[in-house]
Amino acid sequence: MLKNIGGINYECYPLTSAQLLNLTNIKEGTTDEVENIGAGQYLKMDINIAALREALNRAVERCESMRLRLWKDPDTGETWQYVVPYQNEYFEYYDFSAWKEESINDTLNKWTSQPFDTFGGKLSRIVIITLPDGYNGFYYNVHHVCMDSSSVIAFTKDVIEIYCSLFYGMPYPKPMSSYLESVKKDMQYEGSKKQQRDEEYWQKQLELPEPMYTDYTGPGRLMQLRKDNKNKKQKWGLLASSDGKGNTITYELNVESTMKIMEFAKQYDLPVSAIILHAIRTVLAKFNNDSTDVTITDLVSRRSTLDNKKCGGVRMHAFPLRTIMPMNTTVLESMRLIKKTQDELFVHADYDPLKVFGGLAEKFGGAPGSTYASVDFTYQPGTLAAIGESLKGIAFKSRWYSSGKQPKPMYITAMHRPSDGGLNFFFGYQTECASPEEIEFLYYFTGRVLFRSIENPDKTIKEIIDMT
Amino acid sequence: MLDKMKEIITQYVEVDPDSITTESRFIEDLGFNSYDIMCMLGDAESEFDVNIDEEEIMKCKTVGDLLDYFGGQKK
Repeated sequence: MLKNIGGINYECYPLTSAQLLNLTNIKEGTTDEVENIGAGQYLKMDINIAALREALNRAVERCESMRLRLWKDPDTGETWQYVVPYQNEYFEYYDFSAWKEESINDTLNKWTSQPFDTFGGKLSRIVIITLPDGYNGFYYNVHHVCMDSSSVIAFTKDVIEIYCSLFYGMPYPKPMSSYLESVKKDMQYEGSKKQQRDEEYWQKQLELPEPMYTDYTGPGRLMQLRKDNKNKKQKWGLLASSDGKGNTITYELNVESTMKIMEFAKQYDLPVSAIILHAIRTVLAKFNNDSTDVTITDLVSRRSTLDNKKCGGVRMHAFPLRTIMPMNTTVLESMRLIKKTQDELFVHADYDPLKVFGGLAEKFGGAPGSTYASVDFTYQPGTLAAIGESLKGIAFKSRWYSSGKQPKPMYITAMHRPSDGGLNFFFGYQTECASPEEIEFLYYFTGRVLFRSIENPDKTIKEIIDMT
Repeated sequence: MLDKMKEIITQYVEVDPDSITTESRFIEDLGFNSYDIMCMLGDAESEFDVNIDEEEIMKCKTVGDLLDYFGGQKK
């Protein structure tokens, strides 16, 4: 729809369900900076700053979502999105080569925490940076309504490939696909046959008996809620931070252990995500008196088509992944059931997740913000490792910076390191909802369950719990 | 039906449509991963107007297997 914004007509589009899901995190008691992504990508090599500046400009020109703006209609209060034409930009350069790593991280975390002028303003900032030890690259901070982690990876890859083409004569990368076309496709989904099928699927899920909340600290929180609400049978939980303040802790799994997981996945034809989800699920069962009913919020990238892989923007949806398993279920049966449930979820992942969460709260009388999952999980198979390979041995490091806020109480991301392919487990957590000790405890047991399970695929969940 | 299937498949993987046959295996020959397959099936379900059973359909390893499955569903 054509809208006149500041005297210029722009083709405007409503926000997608993925963007609305993100913005809901802001509404739930937090502030704007929670929605910032801060990332740094650095190569251990001399960089021609003028060529990198040119590569960044070309990449922004090719990536519509890096030029996205939001506009709030003053008459209706509705939020619209539009893309502004590309304009050449001068990206500042900062030399941190003499700085200590801690000071650099503090500075970049601080930059990441600066909120954008959400309505009308530019929603990204890029600077070129030199780090100590010969690393050069760029940092960027972008509003989460424009980019998600898959987009960050696609954009970074594009910048580096353009740079390598300009400076080393390597092949010029294929164009990015259009973000606005992906938005239009999302709009076409509304009222389509596919939406009807997805709705049927999710309605069937809502007809199942009420799920059981399982907290990563054990049953204490649910017990307290039951006491507060004078309802001994209450099954929904309420896990939210009043200020969104948060932090991240990263655990690095060594390459050898990562390979064990990958080989197991190959041997049994299982996705890595199902193996990790099995471990998290079993730990939640263990911490909650051997609960047989466990729900984890599963994040789905929705980047399966070639166009969606390269369109930038935000496409991530989140859904409750609920599994009910008796304690005599074997490890392999558990992983296969998780895979089956996840497969169903993938098929129906275009559906608006807010309708699913809203439907659950409405059906079972949950309070606003109520949940059955204490943990959000995503496995990011697409990594920057491919870039490292194309750079033929040039050391590459990728850093994620914290805005000081977190969108979810406990958000676990498993992602392969670009340097050696080993798995990193990022725990993003809200400080009101978890302590570093509780996270250490959760990671410790997740690792124990994971490797006991891989070593004993025919043992039952109960046996694995008893072994750990 | 094969032509329509080729059209859907090439939205997901970079292959020459002419190289896709009923014998093409999704993972080994066409380069799908399990996530892409499930998403592609969601599209195919709407396109061919069939109801798929996620467990059953995962037994389909080739394009021909899938077309046979859809054919059976339509009867």
